[in-house]
Amino acid sequence: MPEISSLNNIQLDAIKEIGNIGTGNAATALSKLLGKVVEMDVPKVELVSIYELSEFYGSPTVPVAAVFVRSEGKFSCSVIFIGSEDGANEMIKMWFSMSFGDFVTDGLPDEMLDSGLAELGNIIIGSFLGAINALIETTFQISVPGVAHDMLGSVLDVVASLFGTVGEYALVISTTLRISGVEDVNMDGNIILLPDPDALELLLRKLQVL
Amino acid sequence: MENAYHVGMADVIAVSSPAKLITLGLGSCIGVVIYDEMAKVAAMAHVMLPDSRGSKDHEKPGKFADLAIPLLLDELLKKNAKKERMKAKYAGGAQMFATIASGGGADFLAVGVRNAAETLAFLNKYKIKIVASDTGGNKGRTVEFNTETWMLSVKVLGKGVTMI
Repeated sequence: MPEISSLNNIQLDAIKEIGNIGTGNAATALSKLLGKVVEMDVPKVELVSIYELSEFYGSPTVPVAAVFVRSEGKFSCSVIFIGSEDGANEMIKMWFSMSFGDFVTDGLPDEMLDSGLAELGNIIIGSFLGAINALIETTFQISVPGVAHDMLGSVLDVVASLFGTVGEYALVISTTLRISGVEDVNMDGNIILLPDPDALELLLRKLQVL
Repeated sequence: MENAYHVGMADVIAVSSPAKLITLGLGSCIGVVIYDEMAKVAAMAHVMLPDSRGSKDHEKPGKFADLAIPLLLDELLKKNAKKERMKAKYAGGAQMFATIASGGGADFLAVGVRNAAETLAFLNKYKIKIVASDTGGNKGRTVEFNTETWMLSVKVLGKGVTMI
């Protein structure tokens, strides 16, 4: 069974390509939903020591919005979308005002915003996983998304523990989404893919790099 | 205070007073501190997982509750602490993303609850007196232990600070 820590450059490149297709699909879905042009950077794929993960993206105390989804199927994995709290709120407001008109942008109850965040996360992660599963010809079912508003460090602490059950390294695919017309808000979105060990093996085999 | 130490993931750090032991952003992990007020020493571990069995890698014993607790004792004994005077406080073990109730995801994420249970079990096993704890819930915690007041401050985003 392949270990995350022993992935070679060709394998990492293949995973990067998967990440590229997945995040591209997610950006398209987001663009359709918001009715805006969504730009995306070429994703980075990195192996990060789980002991350093909580400080990898910056100060662990920064508030973030995160959505967690568990995907079952042959390519079983967990996926976490992490965005800045401000960026996520801005996206939700943009979406709501597009759907219901400008009058709803302020003072919505937290439950409504959380529900919106869960759905946004669901769409981003669902389209991300859809592209990957289509490419390797597998089907998948995803759980109801879970939402957290918390310190970046606490969210990554959970990620580190999940990777920690199988090894010492985390496989992190990250990209930045920029939405046109929203220049003052940082829309950094990181999608972290946590493949189960069997799923990683399947992925590498299907990509013919194992 | 000058001597502030960051206890990173799976770290175990022992200090002599005056010093502060800090862990930023605990999620499902546990920050557990054992101290001896007479010897003026304290040690903190940042526990990630409940149990080292089934894991082949024990390079960082602080990662697991079952290995971290005895290691904390050893470190404190080296600094002339006495076991019968030792006291413990711990915080963390949140179940983040708590709304998930279906499938494998739920067990997967319940690691926080198991971390808290195993930390308690191993503190009891080594007969360490537990003074206070703050575990569970679905919010992350930043903890700071002060070796002058022997208090553990627990900070939760949007909820402020509690001292235990």
